[in-house]
This record gives sequence, C-alpha cells and structure tokens, in this order.
Amino acid sequence: MSSLGGLNTPLQPKAARGDELRRKLRGAFQRSIRIILSILASMVVGSLVMLWYKQNPIQVYTWLFQGAFGSQRAIFISLQRATPLIFTALASMLAFRTGVFNVGVEGQFFIGAIAGTFVGYAFRLPAIIHLPLVLLVSFLAGAAWAYIPTIMRQKLGVSEIITTIMTNYIATFLISYLTNYPMRGTPTTPETPFIQPTAKLAQFVELPGGLGKGSQAHVGIFIAIALVLVLWFILKYTTIGYEWRMAGMSSRFSQFAGINMDRVFILGMLVSGGIAGLGGAVEIIGVWRKYKDLFATGFGFRGNLAALLGRNTVFGSFIAALFYGSMEAGALGLEWSAGLPRQLIDIAVGLIVFFMAAEGMWDFVATRKGWSLSGLLRRSSGKPQAQGG
Amino acid sequence: MDSELLGRILDVLSRYVFNVANLQGMLRLSTPVVLAGLCALITDRAGILNIAGEGMILFGAWFAVAGSFFFHSALVGVAAAILSGLVVGGLFALFSLKFRAHIIIMGIAINIFGNAATIFLTRAVFKQAGAFADPRIVGLGPIHIPILKDIPILGPLLSGYTAIVYLSWILVALTFVFLYRTPWGFHLRAVGEHPEAAATLGINVQAIRFGAVMASGVFAALAGVYLSLGHLQMFTEQMAAGRGFIGMAVNTFGAGEPVGVLLSSFLFGLVDTIGWRLQGERIMPVYFVSMVPYITTLVALTIYTVRQQRRRKVIASR
Repeated sequence: MSSLGGLNTPLQPKAARGDELRRKLRGAFQRSIRIILSILASMVVGSLVMLWYKQNPIQVYTWLFQGAFGSQRAIFISLQRATPLIFTALASMLAFRTGVFNVGVEGQFFIGAIAGTFVGYAFRLPAIIHLPLVLLVSFLAGAAWAYIPTIMRQKLGVSEIITTIMTNYIATFLISYLTNYPMRGTPTTPETPFIQPTAKLAQFVELPGGLGKGSQAHVGIFIAIALVLVLWFILKYTTIGYEWRMAGMSSRFSQFAGINMDRVFILGMLVSGGIAGLGGAVEIIGVWRKYKDLFATGFGFRGNLAALLGRNTVFGSFIAALFYGSMEAGALGLEWSAGLPRQLIDIAVGLIVFFMAAEGMWDFVATRKGWSLSGLLRRSSGKPQAQGG
Repeated sequence: MDSELLGRILDVLSRYVFNVANLQGMLRLSTPVVLAGLCALITDRAGILNIAGEGMILFGAWFAVAGSFFFHSALVGVAAAILSGLVVGGLFALFSLKFRAHIIIMGIAINIFGNAATIFLTRAVFKQAGAFADPRIVGLGPIHIPILKDIPILGPLLSGYTAIVYLSWILVALTFVFLYRTPWGFHLRAVGEHPEAAATLGINVQAIRFGAVMASGVFAALAGVYLSLGHLQMFTEQMAAGRGFIGMAVNTFGAGEPVGVLLSSFLFGLVDTIGWRLQGERIMPVYFVSMVPYITTLVALTIYTVRQQRRRKVIASR
C-alpha cells in the first residue's frame, strides 16, 4: 500500500512533498532509534562497570569524548584509528549486501598490507607510478586472497564462513614466514625494510601547515572517503550495483530475473576482498611505513561489526567506522589520563552490537510499548504468523 | 627400495615423529583442541554455526584462574569456569536464538568482547597487564595412574597428565554415547539435519539448540581451564590463540563425529609438535607446518562437500 502512495506523489505538489520528507525523516528516525537506544544501554552497562572500578562515569565519558574530539590532536588520532576501519567496514558491507558472509576481511586486509609493503620497498619508481602501483597490487592481492573461498562457495557450495576463517590463519602464518625470512629487513626483529619515500602516503604532520601534531593521521582518509563515494555511486546507479543489491535481497528472485548469480557473487566477494587489501596497504604506507609481524589484529572483525552497526549501508558503515575509530582514540586517551584499560571500548562496542543485533528483543520492546500505548496500532509487530497457522 | 633408504626413513620417523616425547607433546597440545572441537561439534550437529568458541575459551580460562586464586582450590576454578561457560553460552543462545540476532555477528561480537573483557578484568581485578601469574593459583596436578604408570613405554605415554586430559577423552566417549545412544542425542541430530521435520515430530527445536549452545559453552570453558590451570598456572591475554577456530577445523575435518574430532585433534597436536621440533632443529620454518592443518581442512571440506553433493545427485536421479 505504501508503494501506491509513492506512485501518487509526483502528481501532488507541495503538501505531498512535505509528507514525503516527513515520512523519510520518520523512517530515518525509526531506523536510528534502535542504535541510539543500544548505545544508551551500553553506556548504562559501562557506567556500572566504571562505578565498580571506582570511577565517576560522567567524568569518564567526558574524558572519552575529549580524547576523541576534544582537541585538534584528538580529532586527528580519531581519523587515524578510523581510516583502516572504514576500508574493512566497506568491504564487509559490500559482501553482506551481496549475501556473502565475508569473515575473511581480516586475512584479506593483512595480505593486502604485506603485498603493498613489498611493492613499496622493493621497487624504485617515481611517486606518480609507485603509489598507484602499491594500491593496485594490494587491491589485487586482497581480491586474490578472497578468490579461493569464493570459488569454493560458488562452484562447490562450501560455506564461506569456515573457509574464510581458515584462510585468515593461513594468511597469518604466511605473513609471519615472510616477515621472519625472505622479507626480513633487520636481524633483530621480524619486520620488513622501510618502504621507499615514493610509496608513502603523507601524514598531515609532514605536510606544510603541520596539522595534527602528535598523531599519525594521513591522507589515506581521502582515499577512504573517495571509496565511500564510489561505492555509493556503484550501488545506486550502476547495473552491477543493482545486481549486487538484488542478489543480497533474494538470490532466487534474482536468478529468475535473469541475473547471472555466479558472476555477481564472485565479483562482489572479490571486490570486497580487494577493498580490504587496499585498506591494509593504506594503513602500512600511511602509518607504519614497514610491515612488522603481528603489528595489529582485528581490523577485519571490527570492520564486520562496524558494517552491522551501519546497517549495511555505505554511509552507515562509514559513520560507524568513524565512530568506532574515534571511540578507540578516546579510549587511548582514557588509558593515558585515567589508567582505565582501553579494552573498555571493545567491551562497549560488543554490548552495542548485542543490543543492536537482537531483532527479537526490539520486537519485544515494541509490542510492550504498543501494548501500553495503543494496543491496536502495534499489534502487527507481535507474532502474526502464529495466528495464521 | 633398498634397505639403506628404508633405514634412514625409519630413523627420521622415530627421531622426529614417533617417539614418546613427541607423542606426549601431541596428547598435551591436542587436549584444548579436542574440547574446542567438541564445542564446535555439539552446535554443528544441532545445526548452529557457532564461531564464538574463541571468546568462550577466554572466559573459561580467566574464571578458572580467578576461582582458583580466590578460593585456593583448583576445583573451584573448574566450577567457576564451567559456570562462565554456561552463562556465556546461555547469553549467546538467548540473543541468537530467542532474540534472533545474526549468529555469526553474535559470534564475532562475543569473540571481540571476550578478548577485551578478560584483558579488562585482569587489569581491574588483579592489577596486572599482559599476564597474571601467582603462587596462590592452585593448578590441576598430574594424575599418576596406578599400575599403568610402571609399564615401560605405555606408562609415561598415558599416565601423568592433568585431569582435564583424561576428562577430554571421557567427554568424547560421552558425546558419542549421547549422540547415538540416547533419545536426546537422536533429537539433537534430527534438529541439525532437518529442523522443520523435527518440529513436526514434536521435538522442541529451540530447547534442543539452547541446550547445545550451553553445552558448547562448557566444552569451551574446559578448554580454557586446560590452558590456564593445566601446565602453567597463569592467565595470559589472548591465550586462546585461535583454538576456538581450530576447533571448528577439527570438527569439519573429523566429519562432525566425536571419534573423528579426537583423531583429527591428535593429528593437529602431532603436526604442532613436529613443527616445533623442525623449527628447533632449523630444518624448516614452523610457519609452514602450522599452516598444514588449515590447508588440510580446506581440502577435506572440499572433498566432503563434493562427495555429499554427488550422493545427493545420485539420490535425486533415482
């Protein structure tokens, strides 16, 4: 019935357009109310933990906020922490949208990173060729790492979840081998040599103007933002974007509609892996400038969660990654100032995800609310199927 | 084949593979994997993809240390760990089954949450970063089996491990009996194979799955106990080190059978031991040997799925 209303709108001028806007706003509000409530619920639980830790929650949240946004330095640290997460969140989002559960973003990220590092230190090229080459190779490496699970899923029907978990571990050991033996730069620690200056992404401190002192934020954030816009455009306005979205909604319907599912899935997963790999290289050539074995873990899994928090939309994932990154920065500040472990933020995000992901819990809340406010209006969200059967 | 070559092969095999020290190492290293494998198995057979093993193991390991530290008793530690397994498993089941949260997302969230929460708790409760070790933590001592311990090769091979090692073997047997010899096990397998059909028969699908997830929490917690109270009495950050996922690999490799899980865990343990040996003697980087189980799992999974599909096609064509 709502689609009929949608058909009518072009014929009706001003008033209807206002209606449309209001409906859109209300829709956006209803969609975001869940995440807002989830964040609040997680803050309440967090407060209890802090009280137990003998800290004043309001003070801690103020510190957290200051650590994330309170100064120019804080904002730049937030940007630095968010940059890799934007890539992994977008990669996860794209895979989820096409109906593939890419838990392998983790491995693809690090494979892209090590491939990018290799191109970064092993070649001597002018910057204008070197930098794009690093990015291209890391994209291809990430996609290649996603290739095996993709083919196994699409041609043989093996669940991509277990295979991507396995390939994550193979990636970890492969990289440990590479940084310990063939790519090792120093005898003391398992790490590669530094990348050439021509392969670096400039950090803001290194640029004229010297913005963001005390942070390692780098111009890779612009690549991330560009990627957000490109992905948004692809999903919204191109054929393959349409096919990806349809495949995610109903693969059977898409097949009937004549979409070549094999091609759609494989391409979606490969691009997802490529984006993850790109993110890995951007993190290396922007922040670390060499690959140190096991320099970090969990970028991929955090990206998976950020995509969920962003409700599997391009801008949602982007904002969720920014949120996650800035909260991490805030938590780092907390650790320095108040001695609270920074893991607090992973706990908080975990809680938010628990609350967010629990569809049924919200049905329960909605029916309860509907029950007390207007029994007739909200009935439908209860259990309609049970009555029919 | 000439006898000299054969002799050399036998020599290499006995030096690097089949000797008592290696086999002991295999049994030791495989124990947490057996338990993590059972954690994956019991949910897998109920038709649930549970990737939260990693987080559950960490909680188990932490609470085992905490219980043992505060009550000066390894048994209390084990009980605390089992309780944590039941609680985490219960919450996981509540959110993913009753509240319909996406089970993979829930799994990832529990893993990240478990990692962060145990690190946080170590700092908050024990005021330690990285690891917590204390003489007041009572470990599970070795059990020397009478008579058996005096038999030459078999004695050192089978006697003198901590209780969890033997418990893991008993649990494999119990899981087998449960799955194939009790009505509950029959129901669980029915739920895993065809939930709609099981529901039609009047089996409470939700309740069975709830129970399976809670049982998986207990198995994972016991794996954690072995890690934190087994050899060294300490909790180390991220000490699960991927065993939750290895459990999934072992379960897949063992075709979802309890005995299969046990045998493939032994294989994992053996490969691990040999890997360290080869690394120690500078023959080959340990990383390639460590990779083997995962690659093998990929291959096994492929063969398994292809065969299953072929069988399905044959049935369909009849």
